[in-house]
Amino acid sequence: MQRLIFGLANGSIYSLMALAIGMIYSTTGITNFAHASVIMLGAMTGYWCIALFGLPYLLSLLIAIAVTVASNIIIYKLCVEQLGDLSKQVGWIVTTFGASIILDNVARMVFGTEPQSFPYLFAGKAINILGANIMLHEVMMILIAIFIGTIYETMMQKTRFGRAIRAVSFRPDTARLMGIKSETVILSCFAMAGAVASVAGVLIAPITFASYTMTSSIGIKGFAAALIGGLGNSKGAFIGGLTLGVIEAVVGTFVPAGFKDAISFLIMIIVIIFLPGGILSAKFFKKGASSAEKI
Amino acid sequence: MQNSLKKELPARKKYKAAFTALWSALLVFCLVFPLFAGNYYIRFMTLIFIYVILAVGYNIAAGYCGMTTFSAAALYAAGAYASAVAIGRYNLPFFAGVLAAIVVAGIVSLVISLPAFKVKGFYLTLVSMGVLEIVQRILVEWQPVTGGSVGLYLPEWKMLGFTLDKYGKFYVILAAMVLILIFQRNLVKSRWGRDFRAIQNNEVAAGGMGINFRSYRMLGFFINAAISGIAGCLYASFSGYLSPDTFGFNFTVFVLLMVIVGGGGTLSGPVVGAVVATVIPEMFNTSPDLKQIAYGVTLIVLTQALPGGLVGAVKKRFRAIDDNTYVTSESRKGDFDFSNYTVTSTSDSNVILDVRGLTKIYGGLTAVNHLDMTIRRGSVHSLIGPNGAGKTTTVNMITGIDAPSEGSVVFNGKSISEMNMWELARHGVSRTYQHVRLFGHLSVIENVAIGARLSYTHGLLGAIFRSKRMKQEEQASFEEALDYLRVIGLEDKINIEPDNLSSGQQKLLELARALCMKPELLVLDEPCAGLTETETQEFSDLIQKIRNAGISVLLIEHHMSLVMEISDYITVLDYGKKIAEGTPAEVSVNPVVRKAYLGEEEEAC
Repeated sequence: MQRLIFGLANGSIYSLMALAIGMIYSTTGITNFAHASVIMLGAMTGYWCIALFGLPYLLSLLIAIAVTVASNIIIYKLCVEQLGDLSKQVGWIVTTFGASIILDNVARMVFGTEPQSFPYLFAGKAINILGANIMLHEVMMILIAIFIGTIYETMMQKTRFGRAIRAVSFRPDTARLMGIKSETVILSCFAMAGAVASVAGVLIAPITFASYTMTSSIGIKGFAAALIGGLGNSKGAFIGGLTLGVIEAVVGTFVPAGFKDAISFLIMIIVIIFLPGGILSAKFFKKGASSAEKI
Repeated sequence: MQNSLKKELPARKKYKAAFTALWSALLVFCLVFPLFAGNYYIRFMTLIFIYVILAVGYNIAAGYCGMTTFSAAALYAAGAYASAVAIGRYNLPFFAGVLAAIVVAGIVSLVISLPAFKVKGFYLTLVSMGVLEIVQRILVEWQPVTGGSVGLYLPEWKMLGFTLDKYGKFYVILAAMVLILIFQRNLVKSRWGRDFRAIQNNEVAAGGMGINFRSYRMLGFFINAAISGIAGCLYASFSGYLSPDTFGFNFTVFVLLMVIVGGGGTLSGPVVGAVVATVIPEMFNTSPDLKQIAYGVTLIVLTQALPGGLVGAVKKRFRAIDDNTYVTSESRKGDFDFSNYTVTSTSDSNVILDVRGLTKIYGGLTAVNHLDMTIRRGSVHSLIGPNGAGKTTTVNMITGIDAPSEGSVVFNGKSISEMNMWELARHGVSRTYQHVRLFGHLSVIENVAIGARLSYTHGLLGAIFRSKRMKQEEQASFEEALDYLRVIGLEDKINIEPDNLSSGQQKLLELARALCMKPELLVLDEPCAGLTETETQEFSDLIQKIRNAGISVLLIEHHMSLVMEISDYITVLDYGKKIAEGTPAEVSVNPVVRKAYLGEEEEAC
């Protein structure tokens, strides 16, 4: 039980990462390889505000969100916007990686190399459910992640802005002709992804400790979760993230710690090979649904 | 144009000599370098040679095949550790270590490139990152074999009974680098290099040329792995000690950086990149953080400011360096006459293509509904219908791009509905596309000559060792390509890139490329869309010549006057169903057709 909740809590962070990756993917068709570093930036900013300046938790979170939103917008402006047609080239893979390297090393210089402990929500209080000791923080991680996911999903389906995002992701040029400002929509998706990154960073930091390498191993797992669930699919992001978290928690009891991460990547590779559209695509497999448009 | 090309030729020869002199000077410099350099610099230079080898391997996969991966360190590590274990633990000779390195790195590459069978782009990137992590875990955790984080020591480097000192190592690795550079040159300047670049440029069109892009990707990546493995093996024997830290993510970034800086998809890019990426960070040795940040900034800035890297920027000024050496616009007398050209068929049946009950369902939409159609050998068969009638879907199924939901397609007596597009190309079907799909990184003549690859008999080794047969076949196909370019009037633009042509010329070039495959059935998807009236008339003449040469033509076109003029038979589609067929005279008076098609839309021209 304890393991299961821990797995779900970790999984909810993977879900938030997958959700943010999906936000950007759905409007631009690219994946931001600097996302893990942005999460780290959010966590480190939060740590500084709380531990060094003694600011309250919520205010620190808001500042962290502001920082990551700004950094994501800068990443878009500097690394993506100038590249032109993203569907025809892979330059963005290199530039977003460059951004990730810069963020990691700036953080290393500014924040130092020593991992710092980060406060838990509710001061690390644990409750006893069915004989298992469960930290309230972990429960909150799951709840907050699901809350954010629900808001995003509702926004996508119900609001004018959500419809604009879906229009841009389907046909950017046509959407532009219909009077939707594609650039603004893409930029807001980068900004939203940045905000989600801060929340994820602040929530995971007590578990991983705050340091410049805190997201180096969970970085690819966010992508793994996104791929397992199906890229750009917000429900899939949660299914993928939570599945991955639980599998890790279960597998972690059998294999040495060093190989635990390797298992996640193995699962990701297997899913990519056999279900490139993610596990949701298995049920409603529409073969070649859009290949006619490409020609 | 003709004149300016003639003027360029002497200049081209002059700087070709300059480049040759530059390379020879560099080689001589490398040869005499150990005579005056100290130990530190000999070691430094040797490392650069190893990095050049590594960058060449990565360049073949990333620069030429377009596969951006992050597993360079994993392949390098696989080679290094495999050879170290073979040499150090099993006391095998050095060359057995090289073999082990290639085999193990090759196996790792298959793990990465097998998914590329189905997916591409960033999926491949993610898989490669995952594999890099897995390989690193194995290096650390599998202590009995890899020595874990303590590392692995190797005995003295012995080769053919000699123990190599620092000079021996220097020259052996220099020789290996030169061999690998020659390998790269011969590979890239052959049909293999063209095929790789074609896949990178336009996968669908490459498939239509008969290139099995899936196996070619795997081959490209395997070559990358084999070369990385060799580099790893050389590094292991050179340094005598291996530690997992060497092969981390930062090293992968370094390899990527070398190719980006030098210029992916260029022959000398890896050399320039390896030197620049190794020498410049030396200045940041006091501050490793700044070094990494400098890497990051370089990746971002160079990708956007100099997409072709340093070498790409230089090449822009010396365009003619990439000119084909087989033909020039004045090297052949124009004795080719398309009207004497004929195609020999493999079958003498009267029917070349027989479509029965062809159906395509997308979700709930039936794009093509039980279509029956018969194309007679040597005829021009037009497929017409309003927009969205299912014409392009039909030809996509016939040419193997889409799999039919139901129904059968029989070509020359063989069922082809299960075939891939590259298999179909080999059987004698070629096509042009509604939206032009040329290979932007190949010159005009290479775009056409690539079609002749179907008749090539030389293999990969023939290309690497420049066999006589390879040279003859290349010469023949370039001359043939020039003939087709004469037919379409582009013989004075053979060495420029197709992006610089007008849209009409691009359409004609696509036609020439399709013809160079010597198809029995040529499928033209709206060849005249966007052409001027004069160009349309030229196209119409050309199609008649093609028919006279014995090639059957399946034509989709909206210019009704053109269709009526040149078609032998017309099939009319509407909402995925055949509503009429017959000769142009029959179709033009058919009331159903007039209502569905001609009645609603005024004649297009």
